[in-house]
Amino acid sequence: MARKKFSILAALLAAALVLAACPQPTPVVETVRETVVVTQVVTQTEEVVVTPTPVPPMQGGVWVEGSSADATILNPILASDSASFDVLNWFFPSLLGQDPFSGAIVPTEMAASWDVSEDGLVWTFNLQDGVMWSDGEQVTADDFKFTYDAIGSDLVETPRKANLDNIESIEVLDPLTIQVTYAEVKCDALNNLSLGWLPSHLYAADYSDVMDSPLNEAPAVSAGPFIFNEWIRDDNSTVLRNDGYWKGAPHMDGWIYKIVPDPGARLAQLQTAELDLIGVQPEQLTTVQLNPDLNLHKFKDDGYSYIGLNQADPANPQAGQDEDGNLVAQDPHPILSDLAVRQAIAHALDYDAIISKVYLGQGYQIASNVLPAVEWAHDPSLRPYAFDIEAAAQILDDAGWTDSDEDGVRECNGCATAEEGATLTIRLQTNAGNTTREDLGALVKDQLDGIGFDIQFEAIEFGTLVGELLGQTFDMVIIGWTGLGTDPNDDAFWHSKFDTPGSGFNFVSYQNARIDELLEQAVSVPGCATADRAPFYHEIQKIIHDDIPYVFVTGSVGNTGYSKKFNGTDPGPWSFYHNIETWSLAQ
Amino acid sequence: MARYVIRRLLQAVPTLVGVSVIAFALVYNSPGDPILIRTFDPNITQETRETLRRQLGLDQHWALQYVSWLTGVTLRGGAVVAEFERSDTSCSFVAWLNTTFCDNGGGILRGNLGTSIATNQPVWDRIVERMPATLQLGVAALLVSLLAGVPLGVLSAVRQRSLFDGSVRVLAVVGNALPSFWLGLMLILFFGVVLGWLPTGGMRTVSLTNEFDPVDRARHLVLPAFVLAVSGVALFSRFMRTETLEVIRTDYIRMARAKGVAARRVWFVHALGNALIPLMTALGPAIFGVLSGAVIVETIFSWPGMGRMTFSAAIQRDYPTVLGAVMFFSLLTIMGNLLSDILYGVVDPRVRLS
Repeated sequence: MARKKFSILAALLAAALVLAACPQPTPVVETVRETVVVTQVVTQTEEVVVTPTPVPPMQGGVWVEGSSADATILNPILASDSASFDVLNWFFPSLLGQDPFSGAIVPTEMAASWDVSEDGLVWTFNLQDGVMWSDGEQVTADDFKFTYDAIGSDLVETPRKANLDNIESIEVLDPLTIQVTYAEVKCDALNNLSLGWLPSHLYAADYSDVMDSPLNEAPAVSAGPFIFNEWIRDDNSTVLRNDGYWKGAPHMDGWIYKIVPDPGARLAQLQTAELDLIGVQPEQLTTVQLNPDLNLHKFKDDGYSYIGLNQADPANPQAGQDEDGNLVAQDPHPILSDLAVRQAIAHALDYDAIISKVYLGQGYQIASNVLPAVEWAHDPSLRPYAFDIEAAAQILDDAGWTDSDEDGVRECNGCATAEEGATLTIRLQTNAGNTTREDLGALVKDQLDGIGFDIQFEAIEFGTLVGELLGQTFDMVIIGWTGLGTDPNDDAFWHSKFDTPGSGFNFVSYQNARIDELLEQAVSVPGCATADRAPFYHEIQKIIHDDIPYVFVTGSVGNTGYSKKFNGTDPGPWSFYHNIETWSLAQ
Repeated sequence: MARYVIRRLLQAVPTLVGVSVIAFALVYNSPGDPILIRTFDPNITQETRETLRRQLGLDQHWALQYVSWLTGVTLRGGAVVAEFERSDTSCSFVAWLNTTFCDNGGGILRGNLGTSIATNQPVWDRIVERMPATLQLGVAALLVSLLAGVPLGVLSAVRQRSLFDGSVRVLAVVGNALPSFWLGLMLILFFGVVLGWLPTGGMRTVSLTNEFDPVDRARHLVLPAFVLAVSGVALFSRFMRTETLEVIRTDYIRMARAKGVAARRVWFVHALGNALIPLMTALGPAIFGVLSGAVIVETIFSWPGMGRMTFSAAIQRDYPTVLGAVMFFSLLTIMGNLLSDILYGVVDPRVRLS
């Protein structure tokens, strides 16, 4: 029996082998080529104008933005975090608009126009008529005055007190006219008038309820494109279309601010259409770019990353000015006060490698402190420091920093600022948890150690780092500025009066009398015309570039990934939602 | 029993005091300044910073801040009553001590956990707001842990040294070792993005109405509850395997076998019942595991519960919220342990609670 089964199996196997060995029929493809010559003589042309039938924008739809953090308070004069402003900006009108592409101040919000007195101190704003709060009350100059008077009130604890600096008075000339008088001309002061206005008719006249008002969590009225609907803390906030919006009611039903703390989860939710917009991390760019349902908005952001070089002795931090405003000579930093060392550092870094490897291509080299985005003030003729390791080594040699004991670390052998024999040892710090800065720190250490530095790099907790910065007890720090805005005035970083240990932001203790003078002149130009201010900023950039208090690493690039479900999106670097009332569902 | 419970509750008091001192000292002495973190902005003046610091009492030594956190009473040197005239605090100056005593009506001893630095909300309100979300997730995770871990452990014991037993033991080790943030992200990618079967995060499908839908809630629970349950499954399966094997070696089981009771009946009626009793003692640690695991899982899955609140409060150096959450978690853990001890006594009459 078994033998019979085996015989049948063997026969089947043999048959299969024979069949497999047979040649398979090869398909024959015949190509027929044919040439057709078409001759057409046009004897008459007729222009036909086709007017497409206007299709009304599709109503409805909801836009969901993903955020890492939730809002903390929905009051424009109490909030200090960007998440709160993301939500509350829908409700509260502001005096001045901002061009979404250039960032310039424009009369697109409550101020329809304004006049400036000849001395530049008195600004008169004429307000839009017919703008209503959603409860039917008109938005007037009283709301503006109430808001700024509230900021100044002792009953209101707000980090916005500085917005009143230099303002001598705010007067309501009539319900649609405001007059703001400044104590002195300060060309960047207009930015301080951009806070949202509170609805004065819903608050006590003496501001006593501003701090604890339930409106801080649930704004009852809106004069913006959306009205408040619901806020589930740490989960989502929802806003609904404001049918009475003065620029025209949005077509969409509403907007949702959804909190998704983890960046990987945010990307996943963008891919599954649970979110419509997220800030994209550099390592996530490819995923967004390859997704046919998503758009990527890339823009030069108003910030930069830098390595701050402390010019003064961290063992003895001192104020830059005395009480009378005179410069106070600082104890110099034993190593970094030497310009040659700073030049060597600036030349020793491979910026292309840093931008491509650390920032994954999301950056661009800058030469000095004014970004190209502020076009009128930026000096394009200044060239960033070139990566030239031989030049860096030569500069150190010439400055008396040589490696006499050949241990790989240079010592002071006739240098200008340090004691003889002192090694070129410098601490470099950044904040732990910011992996980009940690990677940058490792690369900077590697590159500087390569030419004889002994860089001691450490990543420490952010609050501790801030303490070291403001205390001026650091040597070198990797950090960055964001939200620099559209005005080039950054005197807080360079003016000697802001060199105040414990609080000032000129924590690199940069002292230069000419810079102090230029910074002051640049913001007090009568009329504040950009053409008149620009030369001051060009000279400032040149001096900062040459003095190297900062090594400018890269200008910031922002990336926003967003869905294609609405037509009409036209994001600018300064605003994504500037025309949201015109968006309509794509299908 | 009542006396036992009261005694255990009284014993919890020094434990909570110890936890509060250690937690307070650790939190307040950890690096980072909540004011600097919030005001690292050139547009904010130093005066504003100092005012905020003084208002929050952060300018004082941590021991004084601890007293204030406990009692709501703040001590300040000199006559500074005028500073607090406009606030809700009532102050009085004691001349012979040259000290101003201010009572803000709070203090944890009076049931007031303080106010969040980050959101200006009462900490208790924040906890109450988020507790339901954590409870839902925690209960679901505990159920999954029990329903999966117990049968796996028992079957593993029944088939000791089999392939199944080996697999369960390996899976238990892997389940314990897998970082929950990695497992969570992988599950989000696979079930949420690639297959599209489950939502990738959150507690609900967000909409303008946010209406409660039990099916939608259950779908959102699946992945986070699973990730949170993984270590629990590992714990319970190993625990049950050990307990079952121990019970099976006892005399009464040997007797049952000798009397010819069917093997299935021996395992699942005589052995399992007694093996389950010590499981009660594992519930306390399991509750602690779920609460501590929630910190990471809630963050990965955007689940708006207490774990995520604690995590973000720690990042923001929101001391009152972190301390409130620590005290609340400690209380829950103590209560969980107490409950498991009481249940042990109820289930096993041999154990006397006295």
